[in-house]
Amino acid sequence: MSGPAGVHGAVLRASDLGKEYRLYDSPRQRLAALLTGRASYRSQWALQRVSFELRRGQCMGVVGDNGAGKSTLLKLIAGTLRPSTGSLAKLGRITAILELGAGFHPEFSGRDNLFFGGSLIGIGQAQMQQLQDSIIEFSELGDAIDRPVKTYSSGMAVRLAFALVTAVEPDVLIVDEALAVGDQHFQKKCVERIEAFRGNGCTILFCSHSLYHVRQLCDVALWLHQGQQRSCGPTERVLAAYESHVREQNLKDEAPPGSAGAAASSSRHAAVLEPQRRGAILSVDVPNLGTGEPPLLAGPDLKVTVVARLVDGERPSIGVMLEQKHGVGITVAATHADGASAVLGSDGLWRATVTFPALPLHSGEYVLSAYLADSQGLVIYDEWLHCTFFAWENPSLVPGLLQLPHHWT
Amino acid sequence: MTAIAEEARAVWRARSLVWVLTRREIAARNAGSAGGWLWSYAQPLLMVAAYYLVFDVVFAMRLGDNAPTRAVGAFLVVGALPWMAFCDTVSRAMNSLIDAGSLLQRSPLPAVLFPVRSALASTVIYAPIMLALALAYTPLHRFNPALVAMLPLLVLQLLLSLVLGYLLAIFAAAMRDTLQVVAFLLSVGIFLSPVLFPATMFPQHWRWVLWLNPMSAPVTGYQAILLQGQWPEWSAWLVTMGWLVLLIAVLGIVVSRSRDQLADWL
Repeated sequence: MSGPAGVHGAVLRASDLGKEYRLYDSPRQRLAALLTGRASYRSQWALQRVSFELRRGQCMGVVGDNGAGKSTLLKLIAGTLRPSTGSLAKLGRITAILELGAGFHPEFSGRDNLFFGGSLIGIGQAQMQQLQDSIIEFSELGDAIDRPVKTYSSGMAVRLAFALVTAVEPDVLIVDEALAVGDQHFQKKCVERIEAFRGNGCTILFCSHSLYHVRQLCDVALWLHQGQQRSCGPTERVLAAYESHVREQNLKDEAPPGSAGAAASSSRHAAVLEPQRRGAILSVDVPNLGTGEPPLLAGPDLKVTVVARLVDGERPSIGVMLEQKHGVGITVAATHADGASAVLGSDGLWRATVTFPALPLHSGEYVLSAYLADSQGLVIYDEWLHCTFFAWENPSLVPGLLQLPHHWT
Repeated sequence: MTAIAEEARAVWRARSLVWVLTRREIAARNAGSAGGWLWSYAQPLLMVAAYYLVFDVVFAMRLGDNAPTRAVGAFLVVGALPWMAFCDTVSRAMNSLIDAGSLLQRSPLPAVLFPVRSALASTVIYAPIMLALALAYTPLHRFNPALVAMLPLLVLQLLLSLVLGYLLAIFAAAMRDTLQVVAFLLSVGIFLSPVLFPATMFPQHWRWVLWLNPMSAPVTGYQAILLQGQWPEWSAWLVTMGWLVLLIAVLGIVVSRSRDQLADWL
């Protein structure tokens, strides 16, 4: 972590980065600060002592609780904020997918806004002439491009904005939860484009609450906690530490993780896909469950069958996560990761059954979650969090969580 | 002062973008109306026509002996046009940062581009009208070279209103009340200027009040050039430059004090 950016192939280097917000009690205090240069303000450090280095082609996930300083960090790198301390060395073109569509004027046509928005991010008239056809095609606006933006739905405006900012491949791409834009069909296109950038050696900074996506996309992760850098390094190591922190916090708040699942699964029995959705889980079934609260699993094997519906022509990846009752993850199995695939039945539904033979868990209560994603496991179409609780009694009475394969010598 | 140099460099680096922003601003001001940008020119031109018709044709009013001209309508037009340009530029530049707030929070563009854009958009509208007025007066003054003084005077006025507008824009970002106070000052400012009456008609011991208005000196300059065909007096140039230097100095301080936080205030 030494030398200026570029010397060691670093595209982005932050050293001791910090951002102080000055909070004034009233606008009058701000005026006084302008006039006298001295005023009473409360200083709030949104970010302190953050240092990292990213090389070409690396992808860094930024995780942390709300208010941990993630957005501030991304804005500093995007250049919309100036750091109060430390320095930031950047190379090449930086594109931020922070809040799309800022600067669009509702009275003007999409095409007009395209040219104007392009000049704001450094795409000149001549270059835009060449790019506009591919941008309009990607945004799927068609003839609507010549209608005023005020007639667009919010999804259309976001599609145009995404197509615009990603029209030129950047050296550093900043993505702030932007995968949650548009419908699932467009989300998939966004993810594919970002993946393509990454394949070409673009450095990506990705901020998300979806640890699943961070795991899928990122080589390194940065965990921010109350504006401080808690840990930075290989994704799995950082996320493991972050997850145990989140669990501690959940236990402290006495909010069992199961409660979050109730709202997420409201569409549980939708047999027909809503428009805008690419897929939905229809059922999660564990055949050999007995009675009791939670029901007792009978038999040595744990079998889980997930049934899902997808739009025609799309292949799914189906995942199942097994956790302890309070949300300590044990294992995840997913078809795309295991090289398996779900089976399309004659009724048009996809089915996948995973079997954990001779369940090596010790007695206790466990919970299952199911995920439905695109074939690469990048875009989550549906998730049933903590949908099935079950109890398990292991015949052996040895304490612990798990029986690992072992031998004595 | 380094802060001002830095701002000037930022504008220069983004000069092609500034031009795009300016054209966009002119189009946006009248977006949705059938007349489009023509309205921007129609407003001041109609005002000129109204002054001329009412005061010179219908009432044929005349000013006293000490005035730079006899016709009230011509006198009003020559003073009121630059004053309107000044009010338009300052108030639009003052609002420019607040209007561009959401954009500034999300994009790394320098804030200074937005007041510059507003000032240039107003200049593109008023400067041609002022120059056309000068052309109309050229034969009357027998192609007097003093008319060339219009150009530096217009440039000075642009700088003056830009610097003042940017300064007020920062104050408005810090405290929104600025907008109300300045709107009031701009509406009464015309009475503290030699636009409606020649400076000579002001009571002697109140005349100093005129110099509190940064536009008083340029307006006397325009009156000298257009109505009398004379090079403006040195005092007009000096006072205008004095105002400009003072405002730039204040702006430099305010910019360096507010730069890191400006986007948060919008």
